[in-house]
Amino acid sequence: MPMPELRVLGPEPEPVPDAMAAVYPDWESVYHDNIVGTYQLVFRKVGNPADAEDLAEEVLMHTLKTLRLPAPVPTVRAYLVKTARTVLADHWRRHYAVRDAATELEQVPLEIPTNPDAAERAQRLLTLLPDNFRSILELRFLRGYSVREAANELGVTESNARVLQFRALRKAAQFEREVLR
Amino acid sequence: MKDPADRVARFVDDLLHRRRPRRFEATPEEAEAMTAAAGLASARVGADLPDKEALERIHARLSGALDDSPVFDWRLTRRAWLRTAGTAAAAVVIGVGLDEIARGRQQPTGPGDLGSATLMPDNGSWRPVAAVSSIPPGHAVSVTTASVDAVVINDSGNISAVSGVCTHLGCKLQPDDANRKLDCPCHQTAFAWSGKVLYYRLKASPANLPRIPSRINDGQVELYIV
Repeated sequence: MPMPELRVLGPEPEPVPDAMAAVYPDWESVYHDNIVGTYQLVFRKVGNPADAEDLAEEVLMHTLKTLRLPAPVPTVRAYLVKTARTVLADHWRRHYAVRDAATELEQVPLEIPTNPDAAERAQRLLTLLPDNFRSILELRFLRGYSVREAANELGVTESNARVLQFRALRKAAQFEREVLR
Repeated sequence: MKDPADRVARFVDDLLHRRRPRRFEATPEEAEAMTAAAGLASARVGADLPDKEALERIHARLSGALDDSPVFDWRLTRRAWLRTAGTAAAAVVIGVGLDEIARGRQQPTGPGDLGSATLMPDNGSWRPVAAVSSIPPGHAVSVTTASVDAVVINDSGNISAVSGVCTHLGCKLQPDDANRKLDCPCHQTAFAWSGKVLYYRLKASPANLPRIPSRINDGQVELYIV
């Protein structure tokens, strides 16, 4: 039995050579593909949902108003990361008078996260710290203890617990810079 | 609150209660501790993920700001120009103004926001394809029946289904749950869970994925298929 002739309804889009990266056709595509990653990226630098929402929006808004679409995926992602750095540095400068935030952020590799590895990374950072530093930060950040509860658990005064927390965080920041890069 | 340890403790308290922290002039030492605290605030799994309402607010504000502004560049690459020229020709036929295209309201060729088709077979019926419990929230699962390849998605408890076949040349899509998308293994093309094209490496945009009607019945995800 002869094969029925297939009618071609229209030309199929053809693949283009590898040299040309995938492209985002419109702003909605950029949004859908990057909003969660951008949010995570800024969350890790501000630590709270309200600021993360504002800054993620600012990063997307600036990028989408600046870049012309369609644009290659890597171009858009690189621009998002660059914008995130600027927006974050500005945030720390405006609200906490931090002057060297830009330099600081330059040193930290910022990437649009492709997998949910923040928790893993933060927990790895904790394992690097000396025992007493690790304890206070685990109680606070992983188990959600208040300063008072953490102080009771560790058998120190609340005031000592706050000082311990402060020192532990500075140590963590140093490890973050030097070890986990 | 004059002591650095106290001020940082208050900052940490705000983070742990998921509040916007109070602003103050921080010393470099305080700032150092605060940035570490921000990183550690992501230590609990899922802490750094936006909730649905936040995403909707961001989307609405972007939409308000971007849908009215021209985002099209007339200094085009040759390839993009050819693509646009093709669309412009088509636009004349269907009566869409060039300025509409220029505003980015139209996809170059794909249907884009003009919507995804919904699969409505002539002699369809509701057929169970998977137990609801087998698809946890945040996951997409490929299912194959005698008539269709589909992907069933559980987006925070909302079940939906789209075709599991790339609209370009028919490769089977692979769910990428972490990024809430479906990847075509053949030509670096990806679709959102809604079926919308996210990106493509083709000369023109492929069509969005057809949606497949779905419902939950007696603990089973059912699709309206043949």
